[in-house]
Amino acid sequence: MSAYWLLVPLLLPIVGGAVLGIVKPHSRKVMEITVMTVTLLTSLCVAVLLWVRPSEEAFILQLAERLTVKFFLDGSSCVFAGLIALLWPIASMYAIEYMSSEEHQNTFFAYYTITYGVTLGIAFSANLMTMYMFYEMLTLVTIPLMMHGLKYKAVVATRKYVRYSIGGAAFAFIGFIAIAIYGETLDFRLGGVLTGASGNRTMLEIVYVMAVMGFGVKAAIFPFHGWLPTASVAPTPVTALLHAVAIVKAGAFAIIRITYYSFGVDFLHGTWAQYTVMGFAIFTMVYGATKAVKEQHCKRRLAYSTISNLSYILLAATLMTPAGMSAAFAHMLAHGVMKITLFYCIGAVNVKAHKYYVWEMDGMGKRMKLIFGVYSVAGLSLIGIPPMIGFVSKWDIGNAAVAEASPFAYAGLVALILAALLAAAYILEIVVRAWMPREAEKTTDTVSTGETSAQETSVQEFLPVGWRMRLPLVLMAIAIVVGGIFSVPILRFLADVAMGIR
Amino acid sequence: MDFVRNFPLFSILLPMVSGPISSVMSGKKAKWLNYAVVAVSGLLSVATLVYVLNTGSTYNYSMGAFPAPFGNEIRVGVLEALTATFFCFVMLLSLIGGYRFTKVDIPEEKQNLYYIMMNLLLSSLLALIYTNDMFTGYVFIEINTIAACGLIMIRGWGRNLLAATKYMIMSLLGSGLVLISLSILYGITGHLLMEPMHEAIVEIMENKTYTEPLTVAVGLFCVGIAIKSALFPFHSWVPDAYGYSTCASSAILSSLVSKGYIFLLIKFFYRVIGTDIIHQIQVDDVLFVFGIAGMVFGSISAIQQTDVSRMIAFSSVAQIGYIYMGFGLNTEAGMIASVFHILAHATGKSLLFISLNSLSDGTWEYANYRKLRGAAYYHKFAGLGFAVGSLSMVGIPLLAGFTSKVYFAKAAFGVDSNPKMLIALVALAISTILNAMYFIGQTINIYTPLSVEHEPGSVKHSASARVAVVLFILINLVLGMGSDPVIRWIRTGLVHFGAIIKIR
Amino acid sequence: MLGPWLIPVTILVPLVGALLLMIPAYRKNISVVRTTTGAFVAATGLLVVAVAMLGEAECEFLEILPDMPVFFRSDRTSVWFSVLTVAMWMCSTVFSFEYMKYEKREERYCVFSLLALTALMGVCFSGNLITTYLFYEIMTFASFPLVLHEQTKEAVSAGLTYLYYSLAGAFLGLVGIFFLYRYAAPRTVSGGLLAYAAGGFLRTDLTDSERSLLTVVIFLMLIGLGSKVGLYPLHGWLPKAHPVAPAPASALLSGNITKMGILFTVRILFFTVGPDFLRGSWAQYALLGLSLLTVFLGSMLAYREKVFKKRLAYSTVSQTSYVLTGLYLLAPVAAVGALLHVVFHSIIKNLLFLCAGAVIYKTGRTKVEQLKGIGLIMPVTMVCFTVGGLALVGIPPFAGFISKWYLAAGALDTDTGVLRFLVPVILIISALLTAGYLLTVSADAFFVPRKEGEAEEEKREEPAKGPEVSLKMLIPLVLLSAAALAFGLFPGVLTDFLNGIMDVVF
Repeated sequence: MSAYWLLVPLLLPIVGGAVLGIVKPHSRKVMEITVMTVTLLTSLCVAVLLWVRPSEEAFILQLAERLTVKFFLDGSSCVFAGLIALLWPIASMYAIEYMSSEEHQNTFFAYYTITYGVTLGIAFSANLMTMYMFYEMLTLVTIPLMMHGLKYKAVVATRKYVRYSIGGAAFAFIGFIAIAIYGETLDFRLGGVLTGASGNRTMLEIVYVMAVMGFGVKAAIFPFHGWLPTASVAPTPVTALLHAVAIVKAGAFAIIRITYYSFGVDFLHGTWAQYTVMGFAIFTMVYGATKAVKEQHCKRRLAYSTISNLSYILLAATLMTPAGMSAAFAHMLAHGVMKITLFYCIGAVNVKAHKYYVWEMDGMGKRMKLIFGVYSVAGLSLIGIPPMIGFVSKWDIGNAAVAEASPFAYAGLVALILAALLAAAYILEIVVRAWMPREAEKTTDTVSTGETSAQETSVQEFLPVGWRMRLPLVLMAIAIVVGGIFSVPILRFLADVAMGIR
Repeated sequence: MDFVRNFPLFSILLPMVSGPISSVMSGKKAKWLNYAVVAVSGLLSVATLVYVLNTGSTYNYSMGAFPAPFGNEIRVGVLEALTATFFCFVMLLSLIGGYRFTKVDIPEEKQNLYYIMMNLLLSSLLALIYTNDMFTGYVFIEINTIAACGLIMIRGWGRNLLAATKYMIMSLLGSGLVLISLSILYGITGHLLMEPMHEAIVEIMENKTYTEPLTVAVGLFCVGIAIKSALFPFHSWVPDAYGYSTCASSAILSSLVSKGYIFLLIKFFYRVIGTDIIHQIQVDDVLFVFGIAGMVFGSISAIQQTDVSRMIAFSSVAQIGYIYMGFGLNTEAGMIASVFHILAHATGKSLLFISLNSLSDGTWEYANYRKLRGAAYYHKFAGLGFAVGSLSMVGIPLLAGFTSKVYFAKAAFGVDSNPKMLIALVALAISTILNAMYFIGQTINIYTPLSVEHEPGSVKHSASARVAVVLFILINLVLGMGSDPVIRWIRTGLVHFGAIIKIR
Repeated sequence: MLGPWLIPVTILVPLVGALLLMIPAYRKNISVVRTTTGAFVAATGLLVVAVAMLGEAECEFLEILPDMPVFFRSDRTSVWFSVLTVAMWMCSTVFSFEYMKYEKREERYCVFSLLALTALMGVCFSGNLITTYLFYEIMTFASFPLVLHEQTKEAVSAGLTYLYYSLAGAFLGLVGIFFLYRYAAPRTVSGGLLAYAAGGFLRTDLTDSERSLLTVVIFLMLIGLGSKVGLYPLHGWLPKAHPVAPAPASALLSGNITKMGILFTVRILFFTVGPDFLRGSWAQYALLGLSLLTVFLGSMLAYREKVFKKRLAYSTVSQTSYVLTGLYLLAPVAAVGALLHVVFHSIIKNLLFLCAGAVIYKTGRTKVEQLKGIGLIMPVTMVCFTVGGLALVGIPPFAGFISKWYLAAGALDTDTGVLRFLVPVILIISALLTAGYLLTVSADAFFVPRKEGEAEEEKREEPAKGPEVSLKMLIPLVLLSAAALAFGLFPGVLTDFLNGIMDVVF
C-alpha cells in the first residue's frame, strides 16, 4: 500500500472542515451529518492504515536544504494516531449535543474538524520539520476554538494560550535547528540521529532541555503550565478533546519523539539534562495534583489533574529506557480516554444542570446516575485502581522506574504514589459528595437539610441528557474497564514499539 | 563584450532619465511610464542574473573611458543581480498594490511628482546595489534620501510633514556621518574605488599606521548607515515615517529603502574593510548587541501601539535587528541569513502594509486597533494577506519568515563563541514570542466577527491591491517552500562579492 | 475438573447478590432484600466449606498484566481465613437484619456488605500478589461506604479518612510489588511471576545493595499493609471509623477486614520473601518495635476512652498488633500463636461489637459510663460480653489464653535479643489493661445500679419491646460466645491445621 494514502485521513478532515466553514449550512442537521461523516470516515481510514501499515514514507515537498515534509507510519505514529482516531468521533458526537445552544456552530465545527487533520499530521510526521510545522499549525487552528464565545475571559485565555504556545515552539525551534545541524538527518530514527555528532556536547544538552521545555509548554510542564487551567473556560468539548487529549498529548508525543528518535537515549541517558527534565516532570506530578485538591471549580480541578498526569507520561519518557517509552505511551492512551470521560461527565453536569463547583455536586449522583456512575469508574481508573486502564499504565510506569533504579527514578516512584493519593482526594471528593453527601442531622425524615444546592435544585428542572452525550460516556466507561482487563496485547505492542520491532 | 553586460547601467539610467520626463506628463501617463520603467528594469536585472549565473563570475564595468582606479566602476555579480531583480519586482508590486491609495491620498496635480520621486528612488537603489565606488555610493545615498523624503511628504498632512522632517533630519545626520567617514578613508587610503581602497586598508592594518582613524571611520560609517536603516537606537523616525505615509510609500520605504543602505554596508564590510578587520576592531560585536536590542525593543514597542500601522513600522525595527544580528555573527552563514532575510522581510512587510491599508480603507483613523475588529470579513483578500504577512513575521513554517529563522539559527550554531550563540538563539526565541503577541493578536482581531455592521459606504475594493496581495503571498510561499535555489545564489554571490577577501 | 472452579464461583456469588440488589425494582421490599442477602451469604458459606474440602486447588484466569494473571489458589492459609470470614459474616448479617431497622438505606448497606464479602473472598483465595492487590483495593472501596453509611458529618469524614489511609497503605504495597516483580526468581509456574510459594520466591543471587534496598521496600510495604491492621503510625483511621459505622459494620471492620491486612502480611512474609529474608535485619526489629508499641498504646488508649465503640476500636488496634508481633517474630510457634489469635480475636471482637450494637439499639447509649447497671436490663447480652472480655484478656479456659501462650512461648524461643523478653512482658501489661477496659464494664453493668436522674443522651424514642433484644440479635451473640469457649477448650484441631502450614513455610 502506497504511503501516500496517509494523505487521505490527513486532508479529509481539513478539507471537510474548510468546506463546512465556508459553506455554513443553515440546517443544523446538515452540519451534524457532515461533521460525523467526515470524522468517521477519517477514523476509518486511519484504522485501515493501521492495519495495512505502508512500509515507505510519503515525501511531500522540500522546503530548504535538509528541511523536507514527509510522512511515515511507524509504531509510535500508530499509537498516537490510533488514540486520536478512536476518540475524535466520540468527541464530535458529544460536542454536537453540547454546543446545540451556542452560536457560530458552523465555524466551531469547521475548526474542530480541521484540528483533527492537523493532529494526525503530527502523528504521521516522519521527521522533525514536519512535526514542527504541524505543531505550529495546531496552535493556530485551535485559536478560534478557544476563543469561541468571544467573551472577555475567552479572549484573555486565548491570548495566554497563544503566548505560551508560540513561546514554547520558539524554544523547541532551537532544538529543531540543533538536530538539523548536528544530526545525520532530521528524520525520526529510534535511537537518535546524533551518533557521531561533532560539536559541543554541553551545548547540545542545554538545547535538549530547552527543546523539552519548549514542547513541554503544550504538555503543561511546570512552570509553563499556566495556560491550561485558564483555558478551561472554553466549552467542554474543546477542553476535553484538546486540552486533555489532542493538544497536550501532542506535546508529550513531541517530547517522546525528540528524546527517543532525534536526540536519542544513548546520547542523553545519565546526563544532567536527563535529570533536569525528570526533575521538572516529578515536581509537576505532585504540584498539579496538589493544586487540583485545592481547586473548587470542577473543570479547573480536572485541568490541574491533567497537568499532573501529563507529567506521569513525561516521567516515564525521561527515564530513557524502552520500558519507559512504552510506559509513557501506555499512560498517554489511558489518560486520554480517562480524562476525556471525566471532562465529559462534568461537562454534562455543567450544561444540563448548570453546576460548576465541587460543593454543588452534593447528592447529584441520584439525579444523574449515569453521568456520575461513569465519572466514578473513570475516576477510580485515574487513581489507579485495578483492573482498569489507569492501573495498568501506573503499573507500567512504576515498573519502568524500578527497573531504571536510579535515585531520580525512585523519586519519580515516590511522586507517582503521592500524586495517586492526591488524585484519590480530588476525585473521590466529588464521587462521595455525589453519592453519599453529608447530611446535617440524623433525623427520621428522609429529606436532608445539608448543603443547600441539592435541595434548591429539586425545584429547578435539569435539562435531559441526550443519547449523543450518554453513548460516548458509556462507551468510554466500557473501554476503561475492558481495556484494563485485556490490556496485555496492547502492552506487548507498546513494548515492541519501544524496542523498534513494530 | 556581451551586450547583457550593459544592462545594469541601463537599469540605473532608465529611471534616472524617465524621472525628469515624467515632470511634463500628466499623472496617469507618469504612472504608466513609471510602471513600465520599473518592469523593464526588473527584466534587465533578470537578464543580468541569468547571465551572471551562467558565466559564474562577477565583472567590473567601467563607467566612461577612464579605467580604475581613477575612473568609476560598477560591479555586477549574482548577489547584486538577485537583489536588484527582487527590489524591482517588490517595488512594482508595491506600486500596484498601493495604487488606489495613491490616487486618493495625493492631489491630482502632484501625481506626476510622486512618480518622479519613485523613478529617482529606483535609480538610486539600483546604483547603491551596483556601485563599486564609495563616493558614488554617497551621492546616491543622498539622492535616495531626498527621494524617500519626497515620498513621505507627498501626502501633505500635518503628520506627514512632521514625519518627513524628522526623517530628513535623521537621515541627513546619517549621511553626514557617512561623508565624514569617507573623507577620513580617502585621507588615509587615497582611493575611493573599493578594491584599491581595500588593498590600502590591508596595508594600513599590517603596518599599524592609521588604525585609530580607520576605526573611527568604520564606526562613523556604521553609525551613519545604522541611522538610515533604523537600527536601534536610531529608529525614532520610523514609526511616523512608515506609519503615516501613503500605502505604496510605506511598503517601499520599509522593504527597500533601508535595505539599500544595508546592502551598501555589506559591500563596505566585504570589499572595503574585510571581515577579518571588522572582527579585529570588534564592530561585529557592537552590531550584534544593537541588533539583539533592536529585535527585542522593536517588538516591545510594537506591542504597545494602538495604531496598527505604527505597530507594523516598529516591527520593521525588530526585523532590521535580525539582519544586524546576522551581521554581528560575522560568519558566512550569518551573512546568508541576513541577506535572505532582506528578501523575506520585503515580501512580508510590503504585504502587511498593503493589506493594512485595504483593511482600514486608507484613512488613518481606521488603522486603530478597535476600529479594525472584524475588518477581514469585508476585505477578504486583505485579511488573508495580513494573516499571511503576520505569520511570516512570526516564523510559521511554509512561509518565508520561517526559512529566515532557520538560517539565523543555523548561523548562530556555527559561531565559535558559546555566549554569543546562546544569546542569539534565546533572542531569536524571545523575539518570536513577542512577534506572535502583536501579530497574531492583530490577526485574531481582524477576524473576530462583529455584530455591528460596518458602514457600507466606506468599503471599497481595489482590484490592484488584491492582485498585489496575491502575488506577494505567492512570493512569500515560494521563498518559504522553495528557498534552496535562492540560498545557493546568495551563497555564490557572497563568495564572489568578497572574492578578493578571505571569507570567515 | 470442576473442583478448582468452585473458587471463583465462591467469590462471584456474593457479587451476584450485590448486583441483584442494585436493581431498583428489587429493592422495594426490605424483607426481600434481607432474605436475598442472607441467602447469598449462606450460599457463600457453603461454597467455602466445599472449597475447603477440595484440598489444594488452583484456578488461573486471564493475564491482566504481562506475566501476571488473575490467579486463585486454595491452600490452608486461604481456608483458614475464608472460613473465618464467612462465618463471621453470617453472624453479623443476621444481627444486622434487626439492627438496621433504625437506620436508613438498609438496601445500600446490604449491597456493600455483599460487595465487601466478594472482595474479602477474593483476597483470601488469591494466589499471587497482583490478585491480592486487586481485591485489596476493591475491598477498600466496597467497605468504606459501610463506614460512611449514616452520612453525618463525622461519618463522611471518617469514611474519607479510612479511604485515604487505606489507599496510602495500598499504594505503599504497590511500590513493594513493583520491586518484588523485579527481584522475583524467574520461574514458570501457574500463577505467573508473582505467585505465592511457601518459603518465598525471591531471586537467590541478590547483591548486598539490592538486599538493603529490598529490605527498605519491604519494610515500607509492611507499614502500608499495617495500616489496614491498625499498626502505628498509620492506624489513625480506626478509632474514627468504628464509632460512626453501624455496629454490625464495625464488627466486620474490626473483626475481619483488619484480618485481610494480616493475611496480606502473612503472604508477604511467608510466601513472597520468605521468613529468612527479614530475620535478624533492622527491619524486623523496627517492625517488632512498632507492633509492640501499638499493642501497648492501643491498650492504654482503650483504657482511657469513654466512648464505648471507640474503646473497642482501640482494643482492636492493640489486639491486631498482637498478631503482627507474632508474625514479625518469624518463627513457627509464634506464627501459630498469631494465626490462632486471628481467629480468636475475630470471634471475640465481632462478639463485643455486636453486644455494643445491641446496647445502642435498645437504649441508644454510647458512652461507657452510661452502661452502669445495664446488665439488669440486658442480661444475656452482657453475659456474652463478659465472656468475650474474659476471652480477650486471656483467662483460661477461654480462647484467648491459648493464642497468647503460643505468642509468648514463641517469642522466648526466638533469637531476637532483648525483645524475647519484652514480648511476654508487654503481653502481660496489655492483658491487665484489657481487663481494665473490658471487665470493668461488665462489672459496672451488673453490680453498679443506675442512678436516677443521670444524664441520658440519645435515648431511643421507642425502645424495643420486651426486656431484651430480639432473637435475631441474640443468637449470633450466643453462638460467638460459645465459640470463644469451645475453641479455648479444644484448640487442638486448629493448632494441628496451623502446624500444617508452618511445616511448609519454615
